[in-house]
Amino acid sequence: MRLSIKWLRQYVQFRISPEDLGQRLTSVGLEVESIEHLGKVFDGFVVGEVIRVRKHANADKLTVCEVDVRRKGTSPASVLQIVCGAPNVQKGQKVAVGLIGAVVPKNQHDPEAQPFVLSKLKVRGEESNGMICSEYELGLGTDANGILVLDETANVGTPLAEYFGLNDIVFEIGVTPNRPDCLSHIGIAREVAAILRKKLAIPKLKIREEKKSNINESISIKIENRRDCARYSARLVTGINVGPSPVWMQTSLKAVGIRPINNIVDITNYVMIECGQPLHAFDYDRIQGKQIVVRSASEGEKFITLDQKEHALSASTLMICDAKKPIAIAGVMGGMNSEISNSTTSVLIESAYFDPASIRKTAKELGISSDAAYRFERGTDPNGTRFAADRAAELMRDLADGKIHKGAVDEYPRKINERNIDVRISQVNRVLGTALVASDVKEYLLPIGIRILKNSKGRLKCIAPTFRPDLEQEIDIIEEIARIHGYANIADKMVSAIDFSGMTTSPDEFHEIRRFLEGSGFSEVVTNSLVDLRMAQMFSDRVVSILNPISKDLSAMRPSSVCSMLQTVSHNNNYGTKDLRLFELGRTYETVRKEEKGHPVPGYAEKEVLALCLSGRREHRGWDSSDKGVDIYDMKGVVEALLNKILLDKFHFIYYDSHSALTEQTIAVEKNGTYVGFLGKVKAELLRKFSIENDVYVSELNVQVLVQSDEGARSYSPSSKFPIVTRDLAFVVERNVLAEDLQRRIVKIGGKLLAQIVLFDIFEGKPLSENKKSLAFSLQLNSSEKTLTEEEVDSVVNGIVADVHNTFGAELRSS
Amino acid sequence: MFYPEYNKTFAMAEFQDSLAQSITSLRAKAEEAARTIATTDALEKFRIEFLARKGSVGQLFEELKSVPPDVKPKYGKLLNEFRIFVDALYQSAKTKIESTSAETDTFIDLTLPGRGLPLGTRHPITQTLDDIKSIFVSMGFGVVDGPEIEDDYHNFEALNFPPNHPARDMQDTFFLDKDVLLRTHTSPVQIRVMKERRPPLRVIMPGRVYRNEAISARSYCLFHQVEGLYVDRNVSFSELKGTLVAFARAFYGSSLKYKFRPSFFPFTEPSLEMDITCFLCSGKGCRVCKQSGWLEVLGAGMVHPNVLRNVGYDPEEFTGYAFGIGVERTTILRHNIPDIRLLFENDMRFLKQF
Ligand SMILES: [Zn+2]
Repeated sequence: MRLSIKWLRQYVQFRISPEDLGQRLTSVGLEVESIEHLGKVFDGFVVGEVIRVRKHANADKLTVCEVDVRRKGTSPASVLQIVCGAPNVQKGQKVAVGLIGAVVPKNQHDPEAQPFVLSKLKVRGEESNGMICSEYELGLGTDANGILVLDETANVGTPLAEYFGLNDIVFEIGVTPNRPDCLSHIGIAREVAAILRKKLAIPKLKIREEKKSNINESISIKIENRRDCARYSARLVTGINVGPSPVWMQTSLKAVGIRPINNIVDITNYVMIECGQPLHAFDYDRIQGKQIVVRSASEGEKFITLDQKEHALSASTLMICDAKKPIAIAGVMGGMNSEISNSTTSVLIESAYFDPASIRKTAKELGISSDAAYRFERGTDPNGTRFAADRAAELMRDLADGKIHKGAVDEYPRKINERNIDVRISQVNRVLGTALVASDVKEYLLPIGIRILKNSKGRLKCIAPTFRPDLEQEIDIIEEIARIHGYANIADKMVSAIDFSGMTTSPDEFHEIRRFLEGSGFSEVVTNSLVDLRMAQMFSDRVVSILNPISKDLSAMRPSSVCSMLQTVSHNNNYGTKDLRLFELGRTYETVRKEEKGHPVPGYAEKEVLALCLSGRREHRGWDSSDKGVDIYDMKGVVEALLNKILLDKFHFIYYDSHSALTEQTIAVEKNGTYVGFLGKVKAELLRKFSIENDVYVSELNVQVLVQSDEGARSYSPSSKFPIVTRDLAFVVERNVLAEDLQRRIVKIGGKLLAQIVLFDIFEGKPLSENKKSLAFSLQLNSSEKTLTEEEVDSVVNGIVADVHNTFGAELRSS
Repeated sequence: MFYPEYNKTFAMAEFQDSLAQSITSLRAKAEEAARTIATTDALEKFRIEFLARKGSVGQLFEELKSVPPDVKPKYGKLLNEFRIFVDALYQSAKTKIESTSAETDTFIDLTLPGRGLPLGTRHPITQTLDDIKSIFVSMGFGVVDGPEIEDDYHNFEALNFPPNHPARDMQDTFFLDKDVLLRTHTSPVQIRVMKERRPPLRVIMPGRVYRNEAISARSYCLFHQVEGLYVDRNVSFSELKGTLVAFARAFYGSSLKYKFRPSFFPFTEPSLEMDITCFLCSGKGCRVCKQSGWLEVLGAGMVHPNVLRNVGYDPEEFTGYAFGIGVERTTILRHNIPDIRLLFENDMRFLKQF
């Protein structure tokens, strides 16, 4: 449902911004799906008056105009000099002027061009401070040959949007099927009035009828199918002049997406959009026998609707007929044979209530969707038919010179009454968890049209209006109370509402890490955090020592988990287990300056760390395994995989020359510039202190930094649908060239098409000369857009080969 | 075995010259060679000897060039038939080798163990912790932690241990400084959490605590606790009991028998300890339950009004309960581990069992 704010303001006054109004409507269940500022394209365009015109001295076809735009303030001035190329510009014209900074929707010289911004120009020596626009340039039409000349009564300085009546804002509202009352401006105005506590002003009708002609002499209604047509009201208007409807009505209809046709059709549409009651206008003179008969069609009966399509009807189709023939499919679409034409002078306005299920069935069967059927099948107000008919008749009198016959015909054989619904305040509060009292409830319900007849002992006798067919029982009224009270004003209670922010609600925040490591064959250890003071001092100069230790070997808090790890390795080696893959999630402790912030107890820092340890054979020992021992690449591989898993690519390694006191082959890990930890090979002298003979590789990573994830759920990125081309390249380089440097360079030069690169072989020795090595990379090339041709692949590969030759002196190794 | 029969009489009757003789002798040789083919190498050798371009049959085709033109077609036909015959010998030997090699050439011992993957293990303490935490998280408890290095205020004073009160002797303490110590229980986290937040509050606080006690099979200088806390309006003792029973049933099994008995902790009042039927002896009495038939599994109580006041809560408005579960004790009981020190040795032979 498109809602024009300008139109809405006829029924309710409010000050809040359209955006705020949109939010309020959404919060009561009328979801505002979009807000469109209709005149936005004309920001920066105003009505101007050409007050002087002279020929451009240096150009035949150009004129220099002075245009009054009556802008207040000094700059831009009230009168602008504008150079114009149009042949039809003349003094005294009211014209559409684009000011400096305005965005012109269309370019006269290039239909494909983007909108462009007006700036101050000099055109062959003459200053031009804006633009007098053509219909084409404004995007309003196709005429590009001359400027658009506006109505001479237009007010100079008026924003162009306002001049065109486009200073309107339109909401697209997703009206749920239970709310047919909100398929109209008055219906939504009622909601707006209720939520903003404003007065709803429905137009009061004072119908001005002709005294002499009585409608009953001209038409009678006979309802044969009372089940599907509970009510049929009609008005007769004669002496009509069919023509275009006034600009305001056309603008209003266009704003809500309805194409203006002629004043009579426009009026019926206007009234429908206003109050939700679909109307149909028959050319009275084409109705035979002064009679309307509402009956079911006979099976197979043919009928041509006004969109010139022939339909075969079924016995369940409800038809509007005259004495001789069908003239409309009730509630769905009128027929060609009674359509309003330019020569129509008398109009019978139909305003009826049809059974929603019947209309829905017919519309589905015939495959017709119309604004009328859309409303009827959701349920119109059976007691609103007279209002709509009268409103339309009045408008036809005003806008089409019509004369309204005295009286209305109004058959209402099956009266539909308002519903009585009992509402218990206690039940309201029980369901909503609120503490509302009867007066609150009254205050919420009255503005939306629900009256309260009686209030005794917390029991309200409510009367639901007939425009709200969705209100049937107590719970429906409770929902209304909740809506208007505001869902936001109902407390978010749980049995007890716990604020879990800043807590983990997962039983193990390091779950991912643990699972990864267990899956990778690591065994978890839990070690004593108390260690020997002298031992601790080897790892740190900020050791936390214990004043009253049990014994000397438990006299300090460990500053590094490496010492606990080495103790564990030593213990296991002593009992014959040499192949070890261990991890521990635990804390390390150090003293810090008392002033340092962020520590619960000043002067002491605790860090949650992950310790990894590898020692012994690389492979699980078996009949087919190698006896090779682990090395730094095993540890680096584990750390890489772990970091890749939890951090994706947000980490990098830093390579130290082995200057760490405890490890050699040391590699540091950083995440976005923050130190995460290190890995390395434990120095032999340290191993000796623990009586360990095998090499031991350790890593210690700050897990708090690791799991501090700034990412939400990972989003999908599409994989290429095109084949991958693999090329293997072996480069011979100086031995001291770093593999990572070479690889990075290849990745850079390979660009987007290089999907993956793997270093798959390293070779030194004969036949390569001394100080040389060969690094062999496998390159996977792939495009997300197409299948790569041999030439394209060659071009990338050749580019890489040439580049690394220049940067690293790398030679392609001949096979 | 099927050979396409080669018409020997045809060869003998019509051709008496050298070419025919060559064919005759070659045929015998090929038949003999084909019979003895047993390996793919021998098969290949046969192919090269007879069928390759320079092989014996090929040679005969070379000789055909010098045969007079009038008899050439006859010889050609004869040679062709001979080549088809030798080729059939070859194919048949090949089929024989292929059908036998799969079964006999490589013997696969399916009893060999699979190539091993290293198996990681989760420490039994962590397993117990995970299980306890999961149960409480599913009951709507959040998880928070606090520092192991604590001050006297959080570890004792705020928890209603007055200075110099004998209650402090219940927990032997490691000191780092005059007022700084290694926490003796996870209860100080209660104080930190309550001071940071407002009720309703429902958290568990797992963590490592320290006791300055002689290390033995029954006690270690450190262990883990899971502290629990729930503060809200109208939290009752009956709810505490209900929660603990729900936990114990989830952890130890639904058929569990239990009892509550009054106890004393300075920071709760009334306080309780929960015992469950010894699952090792089914309540008959054993070494582990010290013949009582009951195992003490946790301590708990209603948060003392003094504690609530210390954190700025009005005891008239709020009530709460707190509990503490010893993880090592639970682990030892659960896995029937005789010595607590085994948990901290991290011997792979021990760890692999869990
Ligand atoms: Zn027992």
